[in-house]
Amino acid sequence: MVHALDEIRRVLVPNGILIDLRPTLDRWLIEVASARETRETGRMLDFPLGLADDEAANQSMSDAKQKGWFTREQEEFFPFFYSWDSPSELEEWIATEWHEFTGLDDKTKQATRSIWASADADARVRVKVKMLITRWRVAAQNLKAVSQS
Amino acid sequence: MTVQKDRERNETKHLHKFADFTEKRVLEIGCGEGRLTWQYAKETRVAFAIDLDADALRVATIDRPADLESRVYFSLAKSEQLPFSKETFDLAILAWSF
Repeated sequence: MVHALDEIRRVLVPNGILIDLRPTLDRWLIEVASARETRETGRMLDFPLGLADDEAANQSMSDAKQKGWFTREQEEFFPFFYSWDSPSELEEWIATEWHEFTGLDDKTKQATRSIWASADADARVRVKVKMLITRWRVAAQNLKAVSQS
Repeated sequence: MTVQKDRERNETKHLHKFADFTEKRVLEIGCGEGRLTWQYAKETRVAFAIDLDADALRVATIDRPADLESRVYFSLAKSEQLPFSKETFDLAILAWSF
């Protein structure tokens, strides 16, 4: 990813902005949510490779900062939701789309079905992902290097 | 089986809180099927969105609204070897990339 960051700074104008937007891969929450209430039912299984990827991405951005390519201006976490009408739709999605990197254990499946069955009619099932957004600016130190390349 | 992604629009709100897209030349890396692209493209001067997934890019191109055909471009490219001259963009988005 460091090579990509080097390329990005090359194609950005002086004082250009880089927005880094990505999910953190710590275990995603499962919720049953209606207009009236939200109830947590469990978490997705661990991401064995994902956690390492997350760390690698952080390290790459840190390296880019240390090299003087970018300066960090603003950073926030926010929730991003995947939503389904029912637990069976969630399970089907995981089985077909996410099976290579995560899953649900039986206890969480059971809890989700049970809570959804007794929830309000408008209840949906959702996965809550913790997102990180960071605004980086091409560092002034970088301008001289780019103009010479 | 229908999934809805970000029906609360948290991602869109944060994207616009962190960047002003008005009349900007934008590069999006990891655009996939263009889900994020459509959240900002109308404000830009031009947007180039790249990905390594040819099928996803095909979907993005098909979904591209007619009024954005001359302003939003999708292409297959590696982030480590961007096919653009230096200082081409005002703003870059590294979208869901690791």
